[in-house]
Amino acid sequence: MKRLRRRTALALSITTGLALVAAGCGGGDDDSAGLPADQQTSDADGSAAPPTDGEGIRLGILGQCEGPFGGFHEDVVAGTTLALAQFAGATPNSSTSALEGFSGAEVAGTPIELVGIGCGDDTADRILQEVRRLVEQLGANVIIGPLSGDEGIAIAEYAKANPELTVFAGISGSQEQTLQVQAPNYFRFYGDGAIWSAGLGDLLHNQEGWDTVAVIADDYSFGHTSAAGFVADFCAVGGEVTHRVFPPLGTTDYSSYIAQLPNPDEVDGYFWAVGGTGTQAALEAFVNGKGDLTGDQHAGNLFFNPGLAQALGSGIAGAYVGGFATLPGDVRTPEIEEYLAAADATWETIPGSLSGNEPAPPSVAAAFGFFYGYYTAGVALVESLEAVGGDVSDLGAFHEAISGLTLELPYGDISLDDNRSGIVDVGLSRLALDDSGEVVQETVAIVPGVDQTFGGTFSPDTPSPGRDFPACEERELPWEGNAIPVVDGVPQS
Amino acid sequence: MNLRDRLTGARLAFAGLVLIMVLLPSLATAFFVNFVMTQTLILGLAAATIVFLAKYGGMTSLAQLLMFGIAGFMFGNAALAGGARGLNLGWHPWAAVGFALLVTTVAAFVLGAIASRTTGIYFLMLTLVYGVIGYFVFAQIVEISGPGGITSIQRPDLLGPPIRLYYAGLLLSVLAYLGFRAVRRTAFGLALQGVRDDPVRMASLGFNVALHRTLAFTMAGFVAGLAGLLNVWWNGQIDPASISIGPTLILLIIAVIGGISSLEGAWLGAFVYVLVFTYLRDLPLVDRIGITEARFNTVIGVIVLAIMVLSPEGLTGIGQRLRRRLRRRVAAEAAPTAGDSLPVHTTQKELGGTRP
Repeated sequence: MKRLRRRTALALSITTGLALVAAGCGGGDDDSAGLPADQQTSDADGSAAPPTDGEGIRLGILGQCEGPFGGFHEDVVAGTTLALAQFAGATPNSSTSALEGFSGAEVAGTPIELVGIGCGDDTADRILQEVRRLVEQLGANVIIGPLSGDEGIAIAEYAKANPELTVFAGISGSQEQTLQVQAPNYFRFYGDGAIWSAGLGDLLHNQEGWDTVAVIADDYSFGHTSAAGFVADFCAVGGEVTHRVFPPLGTTDYSSYIAQLPNPDEVDGYFWAVGGTGTQAALEAFVNGKGDLTGDQHAGNLFFNPGLAQALGSGIAGAYVGGFATLPGDVRTPEIEEYLAAADATWETIPGSLSGNEPAPPSVAAAFGFFYGYYTAGVALVESLEAVGGDVSDLGAFHEAISGLTLELPYGDISLDDNRSGIVDVGLSRLALDDSGEVVQETVAIVPGVDQTFGGTFSPDTPSPGRDFPACEERELPWEGNAIPVVDGVPQS
Repeated sequence: MNLRDRLTGARLAFAGLVLIMVLLPSLATAFFVNFVMTQTLILGLAAATIVFLAKYGGMTSLAQLLMFGIAGFMFGNAALAGGARGLNLGWHPWAAVGFALLVTTVAAFVLGAIASRTTGIYFLMLTLVYGVIGYFVFAQIVEISGPGGITSIQRPDLLGPPIRLYYAGLLLSVLAYLGFRAVRRTAFGLALQGVRDDPVRMASLGFNVALHRTLAFTMAGFVAGLAGLLNVWWNGQIDPASISIGPTLILLIIAVIGGISSLEGAWLGAFVYVLVFTYLRDLPLVDRIGITEARFNTVIGVIVLAIMVLSPEGLTGIGQRLRRRLRRRVAAEAAPTAGDSLPVHTTQKELGGTRP
């Protein structure tokens, strides 16, 4: 009996193994597309075929189904799907999930087929394997994604090495993917981590009267980039950064880092770029080490949100918050209403991250930056295809058309700079008490036309944002004093 | 006679396998060769160093991926000429290769010397500590690791086309396999196996136990460094997350899947790992039973669990058991009346204890 069972198990495992091998060979035979470099050296390999240019768009989407942003997998795929449903006639295959794919997408007679969805885990190694699977095995010729910072650099490098590919970045926020890598076929229709902090320094120095500030940020690329944008902006208008403290990502006890910060009477304010579970933990350590929070003395990047009040109390009200790809929910223009309604019309529910991956109205996910970044990429794909009449056989013309696009999008128009990175409007907000005493997020200003160079602070020749870079220097900022005030959710332009 | 027959058979099988691998680029798709098989060879080569240390030295090391990573980071620092990341020494690629291997080997020697007086679970834990410290060294000292990793790493011109990288992986794998097997029969290898089986007796016989362990660790570190170089050429980048605790355990899991007591198992384990990673989600209907790409680690975990239960010697153990059973059946059929000689059983010492 025991032997029989063991034999069955053995047979089962062998069958599974064979099936895997068969799937491997079979999958490869049908769709495989090699790189040009492969074909030069493996002429004997008759099955290697160039990507199917001219036959349409074979789209691959890179998301993250594991790791810290794994909860946003549904959101990001839905973002691109919504753009194609709205403007390319796509029909989602499921009314409750975007991961099931879509069908029927077509622009100017060119069909858009979804060949696969890549599953990253927030590491560059993994996303490279996923993009190679999409491109080299499944024959994708257009990629939308990736989601996070280091992944963006890796994918931009991959795009540079594979010029036949076209990549629309998803929502990856690192600066270098466009500023330094400069792949001619890599396009980003949103801001970056530094851009999302733009205008905050101007507002705090010139409106709130802060002259000195201490910066505390996560010690990794996004924390550095987010802080760099704030430092560049605050110093450009004449402020001074007195302290920079960088706790490692994943710190749980922030007390020793809080001790390195000046006391509230020694500095005008603090800027926080501590994300994830660290935001609350760091602020709690601040309360323990330096005394109660006075919101007026604090500002944070996109990780500051009204939810912090649950643990920290309403003392956090008054803090300023940097921008992200979308605007806070209090701004409701007709374009935004239309966009959110379109999301609700496309699916019944979407289990996005903001609803804890439980089914919720799609507009909940659509109002947040992760969904929206992938949406802008999808819109860019559709509009660029329209611009070339659906003909992607001339990649040069296709890429030129993408570079020249100005997208009229619900949360503001977006065009590209010389490095094919978005020039965007940044919405700054403030945590405030509403009539019932609840802490809510209110938009206070929209900073128009922010680009990633910050008037020259960042360039292809400067180092990546880091612990010491950029230095605190006064300089001209194109958007200084141009912020459009927002009152009760209505921009006063 | 019987022994000689068997050896020849095994050698023939090995030669046949190598021949198939050499011809593979004309048989399979570019993706299969350049992605699946190249990655298999790289991971297999690295996992083989775990098997080498475990099989001949009795040391289960979790520091091999660190060696793999050190070589990659050092090559990136030395070979890159410009940009915002790393030291940008801008050396000739082959000088960078030499530098990377030198640093890796020296690191392996030093770490091996420190770990050489520990055995068993203490050695495992100490090498785990190496792996964790190594990760934090590269994560915190951003001058040598980026910041955020070293990207845009180019292959030397000789290995330009991806297919050559495959052949380089194949060549190094064959050399490492034959080399590790050859070491087994040298005076050093025999002494190392003696140290594995009874260090006290070996010490009383005058052998320097710690030195043998250190040298074995250094040798494994060098080979893991070769795999690390192949990896950065294949991947084009390396960052601290590449050598974090997750990938470190994956390498051990690869060795376990293949069978931690057989060298060839390292490549077999790597092949299974890469196959599952790449193709599992393409199997029809697997997503209907909840196995999506997000469940990949669960599937690998279940495979490891099944292997631990069914065959602690891994997949090669299953193969060996089948072959043994077949041979026994053939022998039984050939000599049904054999009763004049007692059956001879070989006794093998393995990680899990002694097994007849």
